[in-house]
Amino acid sequence: MQYAATQLGRGVVRERKDTRSTRIDLPFAALTLLLLTIGVVMVLSASYARAYYSAATGHNAAYYFLRQLGFAAAGTVIMFALSRFPMSFYRRMSFPLLAVSVALLALVPVIGVAEGDARRWIDLGFTTFQPSEIAKVALILYFSALICRYRAAMSTFRYGILPFALVLALILGLLVLEPHFSAAVIVVAIGGVMLFLGGARLYWFVGVGVTALAGLGVIMLFFPYASQRIATWLDPFANTSGDGYQIVQSLYSIGSGGLFGLGLGQGRQTYMYLPEEHNDFIFAVVCEELGFAGACAVLLLFAALIVRGYYLALHMRERYSFLVTAGVTTLLAIQVILNVAVVTNLVPCTGISLPFFSYGGTALLIQLAEMGIVLSASRGADI
Amino acid sequence: MANKGRERRPDAPNSMMLRRTLFLLSVCGVAAFAVLAARLYQLQIVRHEELASRAAAQQVRETTVSAPRGTIYDRRGNVLAMSAGVDTVYLSPAEIELYGEDAGAIARGLADILGLDYGSVYEKTQNTGSWYEVVARRIEADKAAEVRAFKEEGGYNGVKIEADTKRYYPNGSLAAHVIGFVGTDNTGLGGIEAKYDKYLSGSDGFIMRSTTAAGTDMLLGSWEDYFDAVPGCDVELTIDATIQYYIEKHLAQAVEDYDIQSGAAAICMEVDTGAILAMASLGNFDLNDYQTISPGAMERVDAEAATEAERAQLIAAEQQLMWRNKALSDTYEPGSTFKIITLAMALEEGLVDESSQFFCGGSVSVPGRGTPVKCWKAGGHGPQDLTAAVQHSCNVAFVNIGRLIGEERFYDYAEAFGFFERTGDTSAQLTGRTGIDLGGESGSIWWSEDVFCDPENLSQLAAASFGQTFNITPLQLITAVSACVNGGNLMRPYLVSEITSPAGLSEAHEPERVRQVLSEETSAEICAILEQVVGDAKEGTGRNAAVAGYRIGGKTGTSTKTTQEIAGTKEYIVSFIGAAPADDPEIALLVLLDNPGSGSGVYVSGGQMAAPVVGKMLADILPYLGYEPEYSESELESVDRAVPDVTGMGLDEARAALAGSGFECSAAGPGGTVTGQLPAAGSVIASGSEVLLYAGTEITGGGTVPDLTGLTYAEARDALAELGLFVSSDRTAGADDARRVSGQDFPAGGTAAPGAVITVTLYDNDSELLGIY
Repeated sequence: MQYAATQLGRGVVRERKDTRSTRIDLPFAALTLLLLTIGVVMVLSASYARAYYSAATGHNAAYYFLRQLGFAAAGTVIMFALSRFPMSFYRRMSFPLLAVSVALLALVPVIGVAEGDARRWIDLGFTTFQPSEIAKVALILYFSALICRYRAAMSTFRYGILPFALVLALILGLLVLEPHFSAAVIVVAIGGVMLFLGGARLYWFVGVGVTALAGLGVIMLFFPYASQRIATWLDPFANTSGDGYQIVQSLYSIGSGGLFGLGLGQGRQTYMYLPEEHNDFIFAVVCEELGFAGACAVLLLFAALIVRGYYLALHMRERYSFLVTAGVTTLLAIQVILNVAVVTNLVPCTGISLPFFSYGGTALLIQLAEMGIVLSASRGADI
Repeated sequence: MANKGRERRPDAPNSMMLRRTLFLLSVCGVAAFAVLAARLYQLQIVRHEELASRAAAQQVRETTVSAPRGTIYDRRGNVLAMSAGVDTVYLSPAEIELYGEDAGAIARGLADILGLDYGSVYEKTQNTGSWYEVVARRIEADKAAEVRAFKEEGGYNGVKIEADTKRYYPNGSLAAHVIGFVGTDNTGLGGIEAKYDKYLSGSDGFIMRSTTAAGTDMLLGSWEDYFDAVPGCDVELTIDATIQYYIEKHLAQAVEDYDIQSGAAAICMEVDTGAILAMASLGNFDLNDYQTISPGAMERVDAEAATEAERAQLIAAEQQLMWRNKALSDTYEPGSTFKIITLAMALEEGLVDESSQFFCGGSVSVPGRGTPVKCWKAGGHGPQDLTAAVQHSCNVAFVNIGRLIGEERFYDYAEAFGFFERTGDTSAQLTGRTGIDLGGESGSIWWSEDVFCDPENLSQLAAASFGQTFNITPLQLITAVSACVNGGNLMRPYLVSEITSPAGLSEAHEPERVRQVLSEETSAEICAILEQVVGDAKEGTGRNAAVAGYRIGGKTGTSTKTTQEIAGTKEYIVSFIGAAPADDPEIALLVLLDNPGSGSGVYVSGGQMAAPVVGKMLADILPYLGYEPEYSESELESVDRAVPDVTGMGLDEARAALAGSGFECSAAGPGGTVTGQLPAAGSVIASGSEVLLYAGTEITGGGTVPDLTGLTYAEARDALAELGLFVSSDRTAGADDARRVSGQDFPAGGTAAPGAVITVTLYDNDSELLGIY
C-alpha cells in the first residue's frame, strides 16, 4: 500500500487524505442506541414524580421525559450525520473547535448562569449547556491532531509534553475559575490518556501523578469543604440529614433494589427523597427499580460499548482515527465509571453525569456527537 | 496484533500505542466494571435488608388511631365513664402549597365552622414546610360533618380530619374522686382512670402509609398497612351510683346546713367484703370539665392574685385541693368513733362484759400526764355499765378500759386493725395504709412503740383510747370498724370488682381478708352495743341517726385538731360511723364534716351534725338495698304515709279513705264529688296532716314558705297546713317532740305551689346531748 508524507520540519508530518470509504460499525451504533433507549426510559421513571409534584413543570409528569426524548432524537440524527464526515474534516476542525470552546469557557465566568457558587452553564434561551462538555471532545480531537503532527518527537519534552501541557493548563485554569472540579479532573484524565496513547514517556506520568497528589493536598488545605467531603465519603451515615443526605439516599435506593428491583416505575426513593434522581443519581434509580440484575445488565452494555470502542481503535488504519476513537472511548469509560463510583459511594461525591442516562439536553447531544465521530472513524477500521 | 499480516503504514498506530490501548481496555473496559459490579453486589444483595428497611422507614408516615378507652361501670351496670369517637381537624400546609389551594379561603371556612380566629388559622396554612398542623381537637360530630362538607365542596387536599376519642362522664361530678379523669392525650390522671390506666387505655393502632418526601401520597407504588387498635378493658366498680348519689346529696346538704369550712367526706362500705359502695369528697367537680375550679375558689384566687403567674399558681393549688380525695388522702384524729376499736379490744380480751361497771366522776388522772383527763360532761356520768359508757361516749370510762387493755396489747391490736405496720425500729414513728386499689392514699401517723409503750407515761394510751393524738385516714377507720361488725375480719377495701377484656374475658376481684382480728362473738356484742347508741332514744348519743323502722348501730365522733389546738384555735372534725342493719350489718357508713362554721346555730358535735346526715343517708340506702322497714308500735303512729287517691270519690267515701290512712281532711266547694285534692295522690307526708279536698272549686293555696328551724315536727306540719303546704321527714318518722327541725329542703322565703311537700331534717337537741364526744 502506498502512502505519502511530506517532511515539513523536525517531527512534523503531513499525511495525505484517506479516500477509502466503508460502512460504519453497526455493533457500536447498536449498543449506543440501546443504551440511549434505556436511558430515556429511565429518565421518565426517575423524573415523573418530581415533575408531577413540581409547579415549575406545570405538574406534567412527562415533562423531563419528553424533553429528553426530543434531545435523544435530535442527537441520533446528529450522530449519524457526523458519522458521514471524513476524519480529515475533524482533524482540520480540531483547532477551531478548541479555540471556540476555550473562548466559551472564558466567557462562562462573565455570562454564565450561576448555580450555587459556581458558573458552569451558558443559557441559550431554550436550553443551557456546559462549554466544558465541548472542551472535552475538542481536547481529544486537537490532541490527536497534535500527536499525529509531532509523532516523530512524542518522546521529547518540547514536542511530546510542552504544547499539550500549555493547552491543558489553559483549559484547567478556566475550569478552576468556574469552578468546576469534576470537569477539571476529567480533562486532566483525558489529556493524560491522550499523551499516554500518543507515546509520552511513562516517567512523565509518574511525575505528573506525584504533582497531582501534592496539588490535591494543597486543595485540601485551602478548601475546607474538600476535606469535609472526604469525611462525608468515609462515613455518610454520620449526618444523614445534612452533608450525608444525598449519598445516603442514593445508598438507600440502591440497597432497596435487591436482586430484581421494585420494577420499572415502582421506585419509591424517586418521590423526592433521592436528590438529582434524573440527573447525576439516575443510576441509583436503575438499581432500585431494576435490581442488581438490571444494574449489572446496564453496566455490561456500557462495558460492551467501551470494549467495542477500544476494539475499533485497535483496528484503525490511521493513527488519527485510532487516537480519536480510543480517546472518546476512554472519555466515555471515565464518565461511566466515575458516575457509578460516586453513586455507590466508592469515591467522594462530585457532579458527574451518566452518559445517555442523565437528563440534560446539550450534554446528550454532545455525547451522541462523539459517538458519531467514532462511527465516522469506524469506517476506516479493518475488521 | 490487529494489523498483523497487513502492510504497515507509517501513519498507522504503532505497536506501543496498541499495547497501551489494550492496557486501557483491560482497565476501563473490564477491571473497573468488575469493581463496580462487586460494589453493587455488596449494596444490593449483602446490605439489601438493612438499606431497604432504612429506606422504608423514611418513606412512611404513621397515623395513630387511638384505641377506644374501656368503659367504667358501677356495680349495677350504669355507665360512669365512657369514650366516644370525635374528630380532630388538621391542615397539611405542604399540600395546600403543592396543589395551589387557596389558603385564605380554607382559613376563612374553617374559622367560620369551628368558631376560631381567622388570623391564627391562616398563620397555620402558611407553615408550608409542615404537613400536620392541628386546627381543632376533638370537635363534635356535627362540626366534623360541616368540615367534611367544606373539604369536599372546595376539593381541598390540605384539609384533613382524623378520628380521635373523647371521654364522657354521664353523671358529671358523681363519684368524681373515685372515677378520676383523663388528660388531653387520653391518659388517666386521677382515680380509677389513672390506677387502672393500663387496663382501660388499650393499645393504639397505626396506619402506616407510604408517602413522598413532601408527605403526600405516592403516585404509584403506594401502600398502606393497618395495625388495629386494641380497645381498653371495661372496668366494673364496686360503687353503686344510686348510693353514691344519695350520699353526695345529703353530704352536700350538710355542708350547706352546717357551714362546713374545710370539706367533707363520706364512705359507704360493704362490711363483709370491703367493697366500697360509695366514696365522696366535697367539694367535688365536674369530670367533664375537671380543670374549672368552683366559683368560690375563683373568688379567692381573684382576691389574692396580684400577677398572672401568681394567679396561675393559685388556680393550680385550688385544683389540687379540689382533686384531693379527702376520704383517703387526708388523715385526721378520729376522736370518739375510735372508741369502737377500744371497746373491741377489751371485749375480745374478755376484760369487760355487759355487766362491767364504770364510774365517771368527770375526770381521771393518768401516769405521766400532768393534768387529769376530763370527760366531755362536766361533773361526770356517775355510775354506768359498759353499754351506757359507750352510749354516753364517756372518756373517763374509756381511759379506764384502755388501761385495762394495757399499752402493749393496745399497740398490738391497733396494728392488727391495720392502723400501722411495725418496722422493727421501735423508736420510729409508724405508718400504715389499707392498700385500696386507688391512688392518693395517705399513710397514718402513729406513735413509736417506745413512746406509746412507756409504762412511765401512759398519756398516749389514755388519749388513744378515745381516738386522739394519732392520725388515720377515714378509709382506715371504716375498714377497722367494718371488721368490728362483720364477724371480726379485717378486709382489704377495694373499688374494682371486675375487669372485662374486649374479647369478653372477665377477671373478677375476690374480696381479700387481711386477717381475723376479732371473734364472731365479740363482733356480735359490739353490734348490740352500737345499736343501743343509736336506738336508745333516752341515753344514746347517736340517737339522731335513728331511722324509723330500721335497726342501726353507730358511734359519734367529735375530734379536736391537736395541731390547731396547740396553735390556739379550736377546730373540730365532727363525724359519725354507722352500721346497718344492726343485727347483721351489711354496710358501714362514715360521714366526716371538717370544721363546721359557727353560723348554723346547730351545736358543733358529731351527734348533732354528723349523726342526722348518716340517718338521712341510711333512710334512703336501706330501702334501696331491699330492707323493708319494721315499725314499732310507737313508730307506726308517727310514720309518714302516702296520701291515697280520693279524686272522683264522693266526699264521705273520701273522708273514710283518708281516715283509714291516718289523715284528717277538710273539704271546700259546693259539689258532692271530690274534683281535686292536695297533696297529690302518692305524696308521702306526716301522718295526721289535713288533706284538702276540692269539690267543684278551683285549687287554691301555696305561698311563701316560712322558716321552720327550731319547730317540732307537729308544729312544722301545722305551720305549713295554713298555707296548703305539707311536711315530710327525711327519715320517714319524727313525731317525737324532742326532735326539732334543723333544715328544710325548700328554702325559707321561697314561694311554693299549692300542695307542695317540704321535707325537713329533724334532730334531737336535748341538752343532755350537748357536748364534745
